[in-house]
Amino acid sequence: MTFIRSWFEWVNEFPSSVALRESLYGYPALLTAHVVTMCLFAGLIVMMDLRLVGIAYTETPVSQVQKRLFPWQMLGMALSSITGLLLFYGQPMRFYFKVFFWVKMVLMGLAGVNALAFHYSTYRSVASWDSDVKGPLGARVAGALSIALWTGVIVFGRLVAYDYMTYK
Amino acid sequence: MLLPFFEWMQDLAISGVLRNSPWLGPGINVMHLLALTVFAGALLMVDLRLLGTGLTRQPVARVARAAQPWLIGGFIGLALTGIPQLISTGTKQYYSEFFWGKMEILALALIFTFTLRRWVTQADEGRVGPVWSKVVALVSITLWTTVTVGARLIGLLS
Repeated sequence: MTFIRSWFEWVNEFPSSVALRESLYGYPALLTAHVVTMCLFAGLIVMMDLRLVGIAYTETPVSQVQKRLFPWQMLGMALSSITGLLLFYGQPMRFYFKVFFWVKMVLMGLAGVNALAFHYSTYRSVASWDSDVKGPLGARVAGALSIALWTGVIVFGRLVAYDYMTYK
Repeated sequence: MLLPFFEWMQDLAISGVLRNSPWLGPGINVMHLLALTVFAGALLMVDLRLLGTGLTRQPVARVARAAQPWLIGGFIGLALTGIPQLISTGTKQYYSEFFWGKMEILALALIFTFTLRRWVTQADEGRVGPVWSKVVALVSITLWTTVTVGARLIGLLS
């Protein structure tokens, strides 16, 4: 962790990081933008996951939901990543000591792995189960896992704002 | 005029319990955010479709019907987790211009969503011109984004 810590401390001293940290409206504006862009990203991810699990939009083939929502999910991911990185950039040493920040990062990584694993395994055969209300087990598990992991990301992301489990 | 009502809410026994618990308040905040995610997802499925993107191979009415339970469920979740936050911090809310701004836009957004937007999403194919569909979608997104921004600023700038 010493390498990560020294890297965070280095960023922490950038004049632009200090300026962001000390600006009156920088943090509220970025945090608000992070919530709004999260709605676009996580909202559409969850809607797609509900289709995978087989409990929503069941009249629409899975591949249609995936293809048609993908550009908007990616836009949401880009915007929430930019606002999230800027939030981090302004106060790296605030987040370094927070266990929940690291838990959120790990859960985000796992959610990414889950999405890629699904895409390169079960989803390859989508043509044969595209219109089924409930797809194969692999699709339902990937959908449920995605909902659970992104829920965790949102829960721990919100809890980072409190002082629980902050170790200085 | 409403101040005594907000003070009364804040002085309720349940408000004290909410304020003094180390985890109830944050827990309710977290659930409010999760309910928002579901609500926003269901809202956007239909608004994107009205804009001519999203699930374009499905009729608007079908997408709206599928999204409906998640939209209503998300809103019920938002209300159930919003009300405890309101009563436990009554006077803070009363003196926050963002709270009143949020409530005004929320009232507008609810009326719009359950009248005009509902009518447009349930109308037979071709009865609503593409321009009107897009206008309705943009108004919907704008109203609900404003509610979200106002809500977040109650906590950050009040």
